[in-house]
Amino acid sequence: MGKARRPVQVVILLLIIILGGYAISTAVIGGGDGKPVIGDKPPAIKLLGLDGEVHTLNDYKGQAIVINFWATWCTYCVKEMPALQAQWEKWRDQGVVILGINTGEDEMTVRNFTEQMGVNFPVVFDSDNEAVRKYGVVPMPTTFFVNKNGKISSIHQGELNLESLNDQIRQLVNP
Amino acid sequence: MIENTKCECGHQNRVGTVLCEACGKPLFEVDSGEVLEMRYDGTARRSQRVNPNIIDKVWNFFSSVKVAIYLIIFTLIGSIFGTIFQQESNFVQVDASKFYKENYGTIGDIYYKLGLSHTYESWWFITLLVMIGASLIICSLDRVLPLYKALSKQKIRKHLQFLTRQKVVYQGPIEENAVEWVQRCAGPLKKKGYRVHIDGDALLAEKQRFSRWGPYVIHIGLIIFLLAVLFRGLPGLHLDKHYWFQEGEITRIPDTTFYLKNEKFRVEYYSEEEMSDDFKGTGKIVPKLFETKVVLYECTADCGDPSKIPVLEEVKRHAIQVNDPLSYKGLSAYQFDFDLTPKLRSVQPMLVDKTTGEQYGKFKLDMTNPLREFKLGPYTLELSNKFMDFSLNDQGQPISKSAKPNAPAFLFTIKGPGVPDTGGQYIYFPKQIDKERFQQDAINEKLGGLQNKLELDVLAMEDVDFSNSSSYLNIRIDRAMPFVWLGLGIVMLGLIMGFYWQHRRIWLRVDDTILTLGGHTTKNWFGMRREVSSFLQTMGVEVDEKSLDNGGNRP
Repeated sequence: MGKARRPVQVVILLLIIILGGYAISTAVIGGGDGKPVIGDKPPAIKLLGLDGEVHTLNDYKGQAIVINFWATWCTYCVKEMPALQAQWEKWRDQGVVILGINTGEDEMTVRNFTEQMGVNFPVVFDSDNEAVRKYGVVPMPTTFFVNKNGKISSIHQGELNLESLNDQIRQLVNP
Repeated sequence: MIENTKCECGHQNRVGTVLCEACGKPLFEVDSGEVLEMRYDGTARRSQRVNPNIIDKVWNFFSSVKVAIYLIIFTLIGSIFGTIFQQESNFVQVDASKFYKENYGTIGDIYYKLGLSHTYESWWFITLLVMIGASLIICSLDRVLPLYKALSKQKIRKHLQFLTRQKVVYQGPIEENAVEWVQRCAGPLKKKGYRVHIDGDALLAEKQRFSRWGPYVIHIGLIIFLLAVLFRGLPGLHLDKHYWFQEGEITRIPDTTFYLKNEKFRVEYYSEEEMSDDFKGTGKIVPKLFETKVVLYECTADCGDPSKIPVLEEVKRHAIQVNDPLSYKGLSAYQFDFDLTPKLRSVQPMLVDKTTGEQYGKFKLDMTNPLREFKLGPYTLELSNKFMDFSLNDQGQPISKSAKPNAPAFLFTIKGPGVPDTGGQYIYFPKQIDKERFQQDAINEKLGGLQNKLELDVLAMEDVDFSNSSSYLNIRIDRAMPFVWLGLGIVMLGLIMGFYWQHRRIWLRVDDTILTLGGHTTKNWFGMRREVSSFLQTMGVEVDEKSLDNGGNRP
């Protein structure tokens, strides 16, 4: 009788540790409001691109990603577009992707704008504001810098200029 | 120290046994005349060992009822903190980091910084719950198994001391043959619902043993309840969000496969006559009813693929009012708020020849995702750009100030008779007020002067489609709730088992001509004494109910 009891005890204690550990750890991790912070994996997205293809972050696995939330009506987003385009041209061969997430505008508006601005980095439509919610974006522009290991290394709210963008990307490429 | 746990009857008892597992002779307090400790029938708790190792120590910690009581007290005290100020989970769109300081001052700020603004989701509270869960499981196992064993292999002949130290005791002479007298007892006892076991001149009668399992049934229910509460947060099990649903639009409910269409929203206010005189003075307008007529769709194919149009199937229709939510398969939508700002959705302007007055036809111009090309009579209108909230920037270029159709403007390239082959540009403001404010004609003059030849004009109000309002709904999914109810149901069952029945046992043995009777019940000693006295009476032994009481405070 005594011999059979030990494994039962161990199994029950293990179950309690696993289930309890899960409950407690989600309480610790889930303590925030679900917005991604530095060091987190960027939330998964699946959005239709301007190119007609479906884009996910997995498409850019192993690459550094600059995720920029923008809209044509946001003055500072428009102002930083040339800098983003310039850095895209400069860094794209070194495994850096600039991903523009347009927030809630339709195709014509976005296409006209990108053509006018000469933007050719990947742009996707967040028509239901799903990405905005998942990333907890409040002011625009907001830019998430994701390193090659797939972790957010910094978050920038507001306009980026050519130099600061360059510095940020350099840190992504050569940490 | 090795305790001698062997009873004089020859039975080897385990460490921690109070009453010999076989004959019931007390192993402690042998000489005292006090009423016996009958908990778990005197068996040892399962985990008690001579040399406990680390696993035993952890196990013994949770096995202790004392620890369980402290855990419950700590949890109770912990819960109190969550009731001081309102919890963050009540907020819909409030910045908690500022809210507590602004509303409750420094104390509120400390409250927030200590994490008490989300007491019930904090790690220490969850830890306490997990520990209570562990305690429930281990306490139960440690007690129910030995108790089950003890009750399922009871010896009929018990030690004399076991009988005389029960709370209900009778001793007296009988005049018949011992074995025959005991045999005769079976009848009246069976009539009272007892199951009777006889061993020569000793007898054991027992009824309603199942009530002993009540507490453990309660514990099983509580464990299910706790598991449901702790794992409510698993992905897909729980959702409590608020979303805007524009009238007339099918809106996806994020994180679900459902889409919801707000077909019609209406609000009714209390009229002057319905208000009391006092209330009229306050000048407040109070809504009497707000209702959103909705259709719920479930996506059946092409759901997660943004490049395809999802296939939707209507699953439910409902008119949501306050306290009358839409419910479908665990998803509920509650009325929460509304916004009566109208939103322009589409217009159907007519292309008119300004010189002849000829009308070339109407076309539908949607504010979002409009068609790009329209053929009207001899003319082709190509939509080349649109601005939802028209404005001009510092350089005099047209821009949109926001995504909302506050001042929509559409730029067309028109081709047809009397227009250069490359097409002429024409800007169109659907709203009359914008036409004047931004001087549509002046802009068109600069663009090439088409305004003298052609005009886009909305002829009637039915050519304008407005979404009158939007409704703010609270979407909730709580798939753990059935388990919460199941757990509570089991708890109730356990409570009833333990509350309304009692496990009663009567032992008796005849030594020479002396009858010794001991009785035990889990509660209702008064009823037990009455039952014993009535039983003895039918056997020809007159005894006063009260004289059966052996005293003692032990249950």
